[in-house]
Amino acid sequence: MTEALLVLYFVVLFATLIFKSRVVQGPWLFLLRAFFPNWKFFHAVGYVPHLRARCARHDECGQLVWTDWMLIYPRRRRHWAHLFHNTDTNLGLAQQNLVDHFWSDLNDLPDGADARQLVTYTMMERLVALELEARHGTHSHRQFELRMVLDDVGGEKDAYTMLQSPVIVCPGA
Amino acid sequence: MSWSLTLPQALRLTECLFAWSLAIQTIEFLRMRTATGDQGLWAWPLQRRDIPLTRVRRLLDGLFMPQVHQLHLALRLLAAIALFLQGGSLALMAFLFLGNVLILIRWRGAFNGGSDFLTLVVLTGLLMAHALDRWFGAELAIQAGLWYICIQAVTSYFMSGAVKALQPEWRSGRAMTIFLNSAIYGPLPLRHPLRRPAWALLGSWTFIIWECVFPLALVDVTYAVAFCAVAMVFHFLVFWFFGLNRFMWAWMASFPAIIWCAGQPLGAGL
Repeated sequence: MTEALLVLYFVVLFATLIFKSRVVQGPWLFLLRAFFPNWKFFHAVGYVPHLRARCARHDECGQLVWTDWMLIYPRRRRHWAHLFHNTDTNLGLAQQNLVDHFWSDLNDLPDGADARQLVTYTMMERLVALELEARHGTHSHRQFELRMVLDDVGGEKDAYTMLQSPVIVCPGA
Repeated sequence: MSWSLTLPQALRLTECLFAWSLAIQTIEFLRMRTATGDQGLWAWPLQRRDIPLTRVRRLLDGLFMPQVHQLHLALRLLAAIALFLQGGSLALMAFLFLGNVLILIRWRGAFNGGSDFLTLVVLTGLLMAHALDRWFGAELAIQAGLWYICIQAVTSYFMSGAVKALQPEWRSGRAMTIFLNSAIYGPLPLRHPLRRPAWALLGSWTFIIWECVFPLALVDVTYAVAFCAVAMVFHFLVFWFFGLNRFMWAWMASFPAIIWCAGQPLGAGL
C-alpha cells in the first residue's frame, strides 16, 4: 500500500508539470518561497533579462560624452578551491538572480504603474552605480536598460529592450 | 560489503555533512559584509520595503543591523561546529532553523536558489528528529526526519529531470549548450565537445534519464549508493560549469537519509 502511494506521489508530481494551475503570489510567499521549492533548475530556454548600462562625463567643451552600452553580467575565473569557498562567484550569481527578479517584478507591474516604486528598481540603480564606478570611475550621468535576449547555440538570436531608465544625474555632478 | 546504515549512523552522518555545508555557507556569508553593508547592493535600508508589516519591518531593522547580522553569522558558525562535534539538540536545531529563515529573508527569499531550498529541507528534517521525540519517541522522530529529507531530495532530482524531459530544447540537446554558454565562467571554448550537437544530445539525455529514474534509488541500498555516487559527479560538474559549489554540499547532506530509507522494508518491497 505504502509503495503504491509512493508511486502515485511521483505520478501526481509529473502531472503537475503538464496541467498548469493558478500561481499564488504574495510578498510573504516570495520571502518564504524556500518552504515551497519547485525544484526546476535550468529548465526553460527563452528570453533572458540582461542588464546594460552606460555613463557620461562632460568634455572640455561641456558636451556630455557617453560610453557604449555595457553588459552588467557576472563573469568569474574558475578554480577548484572554489568548491570549498566561492564568495565572489556566489555574489555574482545572486546579482544575476536579482536582475531576473527585476524582470519578474516588471512583468507583474499593473498597467501605468511606475517601475521606480519597485525595490528591485532601486537595487538595479545601486548595482549600476557600483559597477560603473568600478569600471569607469567618477562620472556625471548614467543610464541603464533591461534588454531581453534570446540565445541559441550559435549566439544571440533575438533581443529587444524592455525598459530604459531615464538619465540619472549623479549626486554632486 | 554492506552499505546499510543504522538509524543512529544515518542521523549522525546527516548532522556532520549538514554542519560542513552550513559552515561553508556561513563563512561565505561572513565575507559578504561589504555587499550587505549600508553602501552595498544588498543594503537593508533598500530592501526593507519588501516587508509588508510595519511591526515586523521594525523588528527586522534591529536584527539586520550590520553588526547584529555579523554576530548572528558568527554564532551560526559556532552552532555548525557544535553540530559537527557533538550532534544536534532541540535548542541547537531551533536556533539554526530560525536563523536560517532570517537569512533567507535578508537575501529576499533565497541567496543561492536550490541550495537554500535543500538546506532548509535538511534543517527541517533534523529539527523534526529532535523536536518530535517527546511525543512519538526518539526512534520514530528520527525516522520521520530522515524520510522527510529523503522524499524531498528524491523529489528534487525527479522534478528536475521531468521538467527537462518536457522541454523540446532539452530533448534536442540545444538547451545544455545554451545554458553552458551563459554560465558565470564564460561561454564554452569553441572546440569544446558540448558544442557538438551529438555530445550535447547525449549529455542531455543522460542527465534527464538519470534524474527521472532517481526514485529507483529507494528500491535497494546498493542502488541508493550508486545513485548518490553519480549524484556527486553530477553536482561536481554543476559546480565546475556553473560555479554552484553550495549545491554539492547541500545535496550531499541528504545522501545518508536516502541510503538509510532505501534499506527500510518500504524500500525493499518497492
